Formats: sequence, C-alpha cells, structure tokens
Amino acid sequence: MDLNEMKLTRRTFLGGTAAWTILPNNLTAAPNNKTKKPDKNLGTAIWEKPDGSATDSVMVRRLYLDLAGRIPTREEAQAYVYSANPNKLESLMESLLASKDFTDYWTMRFCDVLRVKSEFPINLWPNAVYVYHARIRRFVEQDESWDDFGRALLTSQGSNFRDAEVNFFRATNRRDPNGWAEATAQTFLGIPPSELTASQRANLSVFFANVKIKNSREWKEEIVYVDGDDLRDRLCERLFADKRREVSAAFLKLVHGWIFGTCGTPRKNSEELHLKNMLRKIVMSKEYSQGSISGGFPVRQLDAEVLDDIFCSLGGDTRNYQSPAPEPFTFLPPDRRTICVEDGSITNGFLTLFGRPARDTGLPDERGTEVTAKQRLYLFNSGKLHQQLNRIVASSENHNNAGNPTSSNRTPFPKRVDDIYWKLLSREPSPRERQLIVNVWQKSKATKTKRANPPNLLRDVAWCLINTKEFLFRI
Amino acid sequence: MTMKTAKSVVEIWLWGGPSQLETFDPKPNAPRDYNGGLKAIPTNVAGMEIHEWWPQLAKCADLYSVIRSMTHSQFGHESATYLMQTGRLPGGGEVCPAIGAVIAQQKSKTYKGDLPPFVILTRAKGRFSEIGFLGMEAAPLVTGGNPNSQRFVVDGIVPPSGLTPQSTQDRFDLLAELDAWRPVGSDFNISKAKAFDDAGVDARRITEGSAAKVFDLSLEPEEMRSRYGRTEIGQSLLAARRLVEYGVPYITVNVPGWDSHKRHFETMKRKSGDTDRAVAAFLGDMKDKGLLDSTIVWMCGEFGRTPKVGWEAPWNGGRGHYARCFSALVAGGGFKGGHVVGASDETGSNVAKRPVAPQDFLGSIYERCGIDPDGPLPNAKGKKMTLLPPQSECGRLKELYI
Repeated sequence: MDLNEMKLTRRTFLGGTAAWTILPNNLTAAPNNKTKKPDKNLGTAIWEKPDGSATDSVMVRRLYLDLAGRIPTREEAQAYVYSANPNKLESLMESLLASKDFTDYWTMRFCDVLRVKSEFPINLWPNAVYVYHARIRRFVEQDESWDDFGRALLTSQGSNFRDAEVNFFRATNRRDPNGWAEATAQTFLGIPPSELTASQRANLSVFFANVKIKNSREWKEEIVYVDGDDLRDRLCERLFADKRREVSAAFLKLVHGWIFGTCGTPRKNSEELHLKNMLRKIVMSKEYSQGSISGGFPVRQLDAEVLDDIFCSLGGDTRNYQSPAPEPFTFLPPDRRTICVEDGSITNGFLTLFGRPARDTGLPDERGTEVTAKQRLYLFNSGKLHQQLNRIVASSENHNNAGNPTSSNRTPFPKRVDDIYWKLLSREPSPRERQLIVNVWQKSKATKTKRANPPNLLRDVAWCLINTKEFLFRI
Repeated sequence: MTMKTAKSVVEIWLWGGPSQLETFDPKPNAPRDYNGGLKAIPTNVAGMEIHEWWPQLAKCADLYSVIRSMTHSQFGHESATYLMQTGRLPGGGEVCPAIGAVIAQQKSKTYKGDLPPFVILTRAKGRFSEIGFLGMEAAPLVTGGNPNSQRFVVDGIVPPSGLTPQSTQDRFDLLAELDAWRPVGSDFNISKAKAFDDAGVDARRITEGSAAKVFDLSLEPEEMRSRYGRTEIGQSLLAARRLVEYGVPYITVNVPGWDSHKRHFETMKRKSGDTDRAVAAFLGDMKDKGLLDSTIVWMCGEFGRTPKVGWEAPWNGGRGHYARCFSALVAGGGFKGGHVVGASDETGSNVAKRPVAPQDFLGSIYERCGIDPDGPLPNAKGKKMTLLPPQSECGRLKELYI
C-alpha cells in the first residue's frame, strides 16, 4: 500500500516550561526542550532506534496490545526480540490476526460500538446479549466485510433470541424510526446524533417507517418485523453502493481511531471494508513503526479490561463476574477473561475506575482515556493489587534465564529482576536499571534493612514497574 | 433571599425502595391488609407522627421534615433510580449525570480539599452510571471496605498493612529512577505523560496529607462510635460526618436491602432499627457540631412499596414496587425541620395533597446549594440542556425554605 495513505497529521512540538516530572525525590533531569532530543543517559535506546522508529521490544508489546488485547508472555516477547527473521513483524501480525485473542478483543471493541448490554438504558436482555455477541464475534472471526455485516443487521427480521441481527434495532436508546436513523448514521456513517441534521435524520428514518417490534409469548422475547413494504433493501443500496466512499471512510476512521486515538486522521480513503486488511495496512505502515519518544507515535492508556486481564493472569487470580438480574443469577466461569465478558451490564469497580465504556451511547469517547488520581491511588495502594504483585514475585523464583522451571537451584537475584521485567514490560532491564536495583540490594544488605531479603525488594520493583508510564500506556 | 447556601450534601439512599407505611407515612387507622396491624408513634413535634419502628428519629423530628407525596411513574429499579437521581425519564439518547456528580462538579470550583468532591460509602449503586455523560473526572470515589470493621480500609487511600511511611518513600524513590520513559517529540504524548505525573502527585497528596485520616474512625471517641451504632450504616454515617467536616461537597451513603417483596415486615423491622439509630445519631451530632445548617441531608429510595400487603405465598406478607406515592426525608442546609409536606390518601396509595415530582425534589436541593436548576447542564454533548426539566405545577419545596 501507499504509506501515505495512513499518514498521521503530525503535531508540532510546542515547547513550554514542561515542569511535568514532579514526583518528589526525582533525581532524573527534566527534558531538554530546545534540542528535542531524548536524554541518552536514561537509556532511551530501549524504546527507540536512532532513526526514531520503535525497538523490537516496543513493537512486540504494541502488536499484542493492539491486535490481541493482551501483553505478550515472557516467552512470546523473547521469541520476537531474539528472532533474526527480517519479516518477523509481518509474520507476528498474521499469526495474531488468526488468533482467538484477536477475535475476542476486536469483538469487544465492536460490542462497545453496538451497545451490547442487557440492561439500562439499552435493555437487550441477557439471552439477546449472548446471541448478538456471538454474531458480532462471527463477523470478526470470519472477517466478513463491513457492508455485508451491515446489510445483515439493517435488513434483519425475527426474534431477538434467535435472529441475532435484529438486536441492532433493540440496542438503541429509542426504538422508533428516528432512533434507528440515528443508530444507522452513527454506526455506518460515523455521524453522532448530535451532529445529525434534522433532514438527514428524516431521510434515513423513512426507510424504517414500517419496522415494528412486538412481544411474543416467551418471557422477554421480542419480534422485529416489517408491517407493509420493506424499504430497508433500498437503504442498503443507498448506503453500501451510492455512499460506499462515506461508509468506508467512517469505518476507516473508527478502526484508525482505535489504534491512533484522536491523533491524526487517515488521509486517503481506500474503500477497504475488511477489518483484517485494514489492520494489515495500518500495522505495515511506516507510521505504525514510529517510536513514541521523539517519533511521535501516539500513546494510549491500556483498556480497563486488558489491564484487568494482565493483573489477573500474571497474579494468578480468577474473576468472579456475576449478574443479579434476571433471577436465577448469572455466574460467568472463573477463567473467563475480562475482554470476553459479553454483557456491558456485567461490571465491577475496577473496570469503571479504569474507564470501561458503559455502552450507553456507543460513541468512541465513552471509553475513559485520561489517567486520574483515583486510578493512581489504586495502582499505588490497592490491597488486591498487592496480593497479585506478591504472586508475580513468587513466580519469578522458579525461572532461570531460559524460562525453564528450576526447582533445585535458587534463581540468582539479577535473573529474577530480569524475569519481572520481561513479564511486566516485555523486555529486559537496561544495564542502568539492573545496576540501580542491584545497588539498592547491596546497600540494603549492608545496612541490614528489609529489602536485603530479595522478595521484599522484588515486590518493590514489580510495584514500580506497574506504576510506570511504560506499563500503563501502550507506547 | 439572603441565606447562605449549603456547602455539603449527604444523600442516604435506601436502595430497593423502602415502604412509606413503615417509615414516615404510617396508616394506623387503615385495615390490617395495609398497615400489617402496626402503629404510629408521636414525635417531639406536635401533630407529627411516624412509624413505631423509628423511635430515635421520633425524638428529633424538629431536625427534619418529611414529604409524604413523592410521586412518579417508574416501577422498575433502574429506571426509577435514574429518574430519582437525574430528574429525567430514561431514554432520548442521553444518559444524564446523577445529582451527586452534578453538585460535586459545580461545587468543585470552590472546594479546595484533596479528596474527590464526590464520595460514596461504601458501594456504588451499580448497573447505573452516576456520572452519565460527565466523564471520568466527575466519577465518585467509592470507598469499598467496611467502616464497622477493626480498620476501615478504603482501597487505594489506606495502604495495605505492612507498608510504613518509610517503605512507601523508598518505593517512590526507586520509582522516580525507573519511570524513565519520557516523550519529547509530540505534544500529545508529552501531555499524556504530564497528566500521568500530575495524577500521581494528586494521589500522593491524598494518601500522605490529612485526607486519609478522615477515614480513620479510631480517632473518634468510643462513645461516639456507639452512639451511631456499631453497624455498617452507623459507622458509614459517622464517616460521612467526618467527610462533611473535611469539606467534601457531596457524600452518598448507599444502604441496600429495602426491596422487600417477600417477608416484608421481618426485613423492614430489622433494617429500620439500625437505620433509625444511625440517622438520628447523625442528625443530632451534625446539629451539635454546628454542621447541619450548612449541610443538606436527604433520605429516600427510588420508590415506595405497594400499600396492600401480599399475604399469600410466595410473598408471605410482602410488598411490591410502588412509585405512585411514597415518602422522603430532608434536613438541614436551609430546609426547615418539623414539617410535613403533602399527604397521601387513607391507605397511602395515592397522593391526596401537593404532589412532589422527582425534579421538584432534586431542584429544591440544587436551589439550597446555590445552583440554578434551570441553568445549563455543562458538557451535554452538543445539546442545550438545563440541569433539570421544568418544575411541575406544584413546584419546588419553597414551603420548607428558611
């Protein structure tokens, strides 16, 4: 593809006073605004090559986070970083695109947009949530084209429990032609209700004039049907043939936004309507391989669901998602990953705290993307998180450098530091970092303080790493 | 009117919908199918009676007023909660913020404390977003933990046991060295990094300043803790008083368990006992400390309960959801005490006098806080919205304004 197709509108650096590293006792220097050069003393080579592109350890983490909704395991990260294959980026991308994790993660993203939740204010009802989620999952897994999927949704009829696509007509705040016009404009044209003009709304709602919803004898079943002429085929013609360019531009904007956030807009529309092809072009573009220090690749905060999965899987925790409505209660299996939770109404305080979208409007800005003091309080002090960190430290005991369990020999302290770095940050510590930590250890032994005992210091190291920007952001 | 506006609001939310008949609108003369054979008791305000299960509140009725004519149309928990919290019916494409998020946001312009301006004890309402479209900054601090336990652990604010101030400092020293990723080339990334660091500074100010001590209930005399009752609601309200003293503009105490479809009377008697003692102690303590005049206290659920008792199985003496007529309590912050607003009919089934709609009730709280309920609701995306819909025909609770 033409690399300019996805070109980011690079913003200029505005300088300023940048008194922004204000944690007390910070011994490191403030950035030098005049030269705009990263401080080599901090070992920026870990993250960025001299030409401003991202290093392998940044790329492997970036790819896993964007395509699979998780960070790589130690072994996966090492396999990539140590591979000499010149096409390793493409081959990792292909294997991730074919993985179950990709399907799970991108299904979650589309369920956000389509407002998949059982209760207030969308009220799909649990049975309908599960069939609709499964249908959206099929769209992602089989890489169905966006217009085919759209046509299936827009022309659907039948039961909310059996004909999954009809839930498009139920997952709206208003179940009437105007509400469906707004949902159509938002989903397929990228126009939020607040920007939809009255005449646009009227033009779209005409096609839904004969769409009705009725109850059946089954509890909470609803039938979407057409009473009179079905005008929706004509709507699909209008959208997916006449307005194909607008539809594909909106789809590109949506997917592009999930990777690049609000930074930059895709410059040229390629009329691509297959998700995986679109992601291939993004991942193989030059912009995607930029570093985030001087290279300008826009960072984004990890999704609440992804963060929860990281803490639970590394910390050896199970989830206990449940829903008290309707009776009898729903209990999800304890090994269900958070990105796989189908129902937006099933949630917990952690997910709310870290910005999981409520799926009330389906607009992209529903997801919280700003770091808040309350989030940092959790990362500093949460009792649950401390238990998870303890388990991460305990698991570093039985790893030698090759990642094989060694029960007979105790793992030397520096190797345990390496293990924690690989697990949490997908890389080895820089010589500077390793030295810093070993120095603290030596000093603690000399003064006989608590951190002379390796688990105590390693717990502090793990705590530090999850409190770095490098961890909380996809850089 | 020249009175000072209220500084803080304490919301006591009886999640599930408590019965109006067994709280502030008893019907001792109605048939047993309505009152369950139970009685009313006099209060220290002549002519004002409440239900016999609230003896402590009966002794201090001069401190609060009751509204017996709350009414709306929503009989499901979520939609009724939404209505009672936002003043609006669900639907219409927007999810509006609850009163707590709105008042906290408005008051945060003058609030100088380190704790967030909106604190919830101890659990969020759940399945209902308090912040609506206001975004993460308006989100409440939800304490978790149990204020009635040995140590009230507010997750994130009270460090896990074993962490001393020195070991915490050691950690931050090491973190300052290890958090070395630092963008220089894009102002977007620079602003993200700055927001991360700023949030960290704010968080440390909370844990290391006076704010964290607000939750240390062991600093209260034992006698005071007992006065509130050694129950979760009792100690939550004690924590709420400490939060008011600290200056937090909006505090919610969520008290679940009022959804008494089955065996209503057993549930109601148990819940009333703890709540009566705690709320009466809270109002008295607030008065003694001179805080009540500047703090609005309001208490109700999303609706009331069906006046006619379902004696038959499976209810076995139960009451269903009922929104047509129910009761609420309001005290302090520029509201008169010792008054009864409105009235229900002889069985508590319908409003007989002076209906009060949710937006009238909420609008009165806004007004007493110095916030114009007809003013603009900030951040309503692209749409011009007022804080609340227009007041109903009978209007806000002017008769209670001091």
